[in-house]
Amino acid sequence: MFKNYIKIAWRSLKKQAFFTFLNTFGLAIGMAGALMISLYINDELSYDKMFADADRIYRIDADIKFGGAEIKAAESAPPMAGALKRDYSQVESTVRFRTLGSMYVKKVGSETSSKEDRVTYADSTFFEFFGIDLLVGNSKSALTGTNSLVLTKTAAEKYFGSTDVLGQDLLLDNSDTYTVTGVIDDMPKNSYFNEYSVFLAMAGNVGSREELWGSNNYFTFVKLIPEARVEDFQAPLQGMLERYMLPWAQKYFPGMTAESFAASGNYIRYHTIAFTDIHLHSDRSSEMNATSSMQNIYILSFIGLFLIILASVNFMNLSTAHSLKRAKEVGVRKTLGSNKMNLIFQFLTESGLIAFISLIAALLITMITLPFFNGFTGKSIAIPFSQPLFWLLLFAATILLGFFSGCYPAFFMSRFNPVKTLKGGASESVGNGRVRNALVIFQFSISVFLIVSTLVVFQQLNYIQSKDLGFTKDQVLLINEISPLGSKTNAFKEEILKMGNVENVTLSNFYPTPSWRSDTSFFQEGTKSQENAIQMQTWDVDMDYLKTLEMDVVAGRDFNKQYASDSTAIIINEATLPILNVTAQEALGMRISEEIDMENPSYYTIIGVVKDFHFKSLRENIGALGLHVENNAENMAVRLSGGDYSKSIAEIENIWNTMAPGQPFDYQFMDEAFYSTYNSEQKLSQIFFIFTILSIFIACLGLFGLAAFNAEKRTKEIGVRKVLGATVSQISYRLTVDFLKLVGVAILISLPLGWFAMNKWLEDFSYRIEIGFGVFVLAAVLAIMVAIVTVSYQSIKAAIVNPVKSLRSD
Amino acid sequence: MLLQLKNIFKWVQQGGQRVFLLKDINLEVEEGEFISIMGPSGSGKSTLLNVIGMLDTFDEGEYDFLSESVHTLKEKYRSNLYKEYIGFVFQSYHLLDDLTVEENLEMPLLYKKIKSSERKALVADMLDRFNIVGKKDLFPTQLSGGQQQLVGVARALIGKPKLILADEPTGNLNSQQSEEIMALFKKLNEEDGVTIIQVTHSEKNAEYGSRIINLLDGRKI
Ligand SMILES: Nc1ncnc2c1ncn2[C@@H]1O[C@H](COP(=O)(O)OP(=O)(O)OP(=O)(O)O)[C@@H](O)[C@H]1O
Ligand SMILES: [Mg+2]
Repeated sequence: MFKNYIKIAWRSLKKQAFFTFLNTFGLAIGMAGALMISLYINDELSYDKMFADADRIYRIDADIKFGGAEIKAAESAPPMAGALKRDYSQVESTVRFRTLGSMYVKKVGSETSSKEDRVTYADSTFFEFFGIDLLVGNSKSALTGTNSLVLTKTAAEKYFGSTDVLGQDLLLDNSDTYTVTGVIDDMPKNSYFNEYSVFLAMAGNVGSREELWGSNNYFTFVKLIPEARVEDFQAPLQGMLERYMLPWAQKYFPGMTAESFAASGNYIRYHTIAFTDIHLHSDRSSEMNATSSMQNIYILSFIGLFLIILASVNFMNLSTAHSLKRAKEVGVRKTLGSNKMNLIFQFLTESGLIAFISLIAALLITMITLPFFNGFTGKSIAIPFSQPLFWLLLFAATILLGFFSGCYPAFFMSRFNPVKTLKGGASESVGNGRVRNALVIFQFSISVFLIVSTLVVFQQLNYIQSKDLGFTKDQVLLINEISPLGSKTNAFKEEILKMGNVENVTLSNFYPTPSWRSDTSFFQEGTKSQENAIQMQTWDVDMDYLKTLEMDVVAGRDFNKQYASDSTAIIINEATLPILNVTAQEALGMRISEEIDMENPSYYTIIGVVKDFHFKSLRENIGALGLHVENNAENMAVRLSGGDYSKSIAEIENIWNTMAPGQPFDYQFMDEAFYSTYNSEQKLSQIFFIFTILSIFIACLGLFGLAAFNAEKRTKEIGVRKVLGATVSQISYRLTVDFLKLVGVAILISLPLGWFAMNKWLEDFSYRIEIGFGVFVLAAVLAIMVAIVTVSYQSIKAAIVNPVKSLRSD
Repeated sequence: MLLQLKNIFKWVQQGGQRVFLLKDINLEVEEGEFISIMGPSGSGKSTLLNVIGMLDTFDEGEYDFLSESVHTLKEKYRSNLYKEYIGFVFQSYHLLDDLTVEENLEMPLLYKKIKSSERKALVADMLDRFNIVGKKDLFPTQLSGGQQQLVGVARALIGKPKLILADEPTGNLNSQQSEEIMALFKKLNEEDGVTIIQVTHSEKNAEYGSRIINLLDGRKI
């Protein structure tokens, strides 16, 4: 019987090629979209699970409030790891990292160096801790010597052409020589250590051995013993504060007690985060690697689910609409002795078959589009063809989908009354289409919802990009790593300033672009108590900084070479004023210092107040900031006045090559660096965009099929109307307007939902748009236009048919 | 006795009123009878046939088929009873267009869950008997009306039913084709003892049968 069902199903699908195509295509696209999203989510969820004992590994985080600033630190003090191991029997082992950002690496004796983007100091326990095998070298001793380092396979091959490199020497940042003591496989893409390629022995980092409890610079991981429960570790962890932190702080703030510390509103709260949770659940401000959020996973899951439901609804709609054609068959089969169950099975077989054909198409679509998808998500996802579990899930999902989609049509059709259908009263059996209408409304509601979401995300991004940031980010070229210039740095600056289309040049390590920065505590002259500490960032800049970045001074003055005293001057931003509790004018001339504990602290004098500019993401508020002049810049910013950028860049590179021969010239435009802060929003908007298009497309496929069906069902009516004198436009209007009513209802349903959901999303931004009325109008107009285009083809086609033909055919 | 209808009423509600399609029908049919139902258009012939064939329900009265009371049976049992004992022939043939002649014949056997080898044999027998072996791989649209009805009759017969119900089986056929089908019915009735109830407008066709039932406005006269 089943074989027979398949045979019949195959034939009827073949016979109704157009209908089958619409159904299969819609399902295939929905499945491909959902499949890609599933693979993406699966990849996101797989982070760091590949490491041995990953389930026992935790990182120590701390929420710190001290002097006005709140920090969500992912890093700990250098002695933290050692103390944990000493004090807590649950701790089996620890490992610390101190990241160094990018470094220039070259083989000793070689001319050119190349940039390694992610370099970190790591404790010697690194390999054993994470169960990482060395390709060459000894895992216990590899990272013990002061100047030893371990490379990944790719890095080793880059510098030496092989992995057989034990004992070879590398020069880092043109100053330090390191010896290669091991090679490991490249870090998995879906791991926290992705793209880290150089691991330096912690022994070479002097600070790592200091009993400094006040600075948090070391990512500290602990591995608990198998018997330990992390809950039992969390509470005692807080004891670190009283045992180590306070005694250390008392050296600087004599008389400080736990009580007075807490009374001043300050706190340090230690807690752990599971290693495998970091990628999706960490809320820390700085991480060793870009993390994502569960919110994105939820949004994506919803979109994936939407797509599948849309496609499935399409299927139901088209199938029930199409059942008009199958009504007679149902009647005949019933007279041949078929019962409802037989028919249900038959139709489910058909939908199952369609689902499987769609699956094949979906796999093809996925294979073709996956490289692009990987390109823009920065992942290397592959379809896991060799995994039985994947196939099992895929088949199960396909069968489920076929069943889910086929169920309603099957039950619907199996109920047909044989007497009626055989008499030709099939359209009666097909019903008034209330369910179908509801399904169309449902589909369009989802589509309109997605349109609204996409528009809002785009608007917010646009807002971010065009917002007055307090500085001008356009036309600024950032040249990274100018340290190879050494003493020629100023000469380089002078040379560039001579260029025709260069307006200004400044030297600094700090720019309002994403990078890691920390706050320091300052004290106003005269205060002696740590309660009045001012947490602010201090940026080392040169005298041309404000001019080059086009920042405004609202009080006082900019730095000026004429004043020798400007070496101890500081310019603060407006956000610092409330903390100092003064107005901009009052702030001028005030003195602040980092060194409260010294006899003769060195003071900075406030000479100016700069208008607030955004240096963090627009998700966050602007914090306190001070700028002072210091000569230790590693980066340079060049403001161009327009013209041919590529020519200017080439010119600057020429100057660079004469002054720093053989050194890589690394640059980027500031606006690009700025946008990278919003990478996750950018990606979200792209994903929204793609899947909105897909969902609209699927909804249109369904509408197209329904319109075709509707036109067919009403052929006779149309014929009669024409004979009675109706014009083509009158008839196509009649046919179209019915569908537009449905789209109208969908719009009414989805606009409030979209408004609500997107306001929730916007809450994450300190600086955000108001969702305007225009968004809704635009979404509605878009949906209606798409619907008109889809439906009118069928309507017009039906309306221009010669009435004689249609009347005779009945 | 094959079947018995007792005081069957069937009606529909139209504009708040009952419109009777069948009124107080009493009918006894013995095995081996060949009955013709006649009457003007709209008199309820098809309705009665569908009720007898269990394709349609009725609102009042009792219906016994082989001493089972149909009106109290669940749909599943009714369907089984139907599958086992009844074959239908229609005016417009109602063959399944997607299936070949051979597959059309096989269909009722599939629903009766008959084994593949047996099905093959029965289909081959039928093709032989109706002289349509050469047409077995053709689709219905490739056959003439008469040939299609031949297949329709063969399909009704293949499950070895006790009762064949035919609603104007020759309505769409020319007189020669029509005679062939009627002769076939007669032969089936006489040689195989199949009970036949046919609806017809033709006096000539009615004469093939042993008894005529006349209907007018849903009432037996
Ligand atoms: N579902 C229904 N609703 C209302 N009236 C119906 C319904 N089905 C049948 N009728 C009416 O019942 C009457 C009998 O119909 P039926 O099809 O049995 O007639 P018939 O005797 O077979 O006619 P013909 O010779 O034209 O085939 C007709 O007047 C028809 O209009
Ligand atoms: Mg009739």
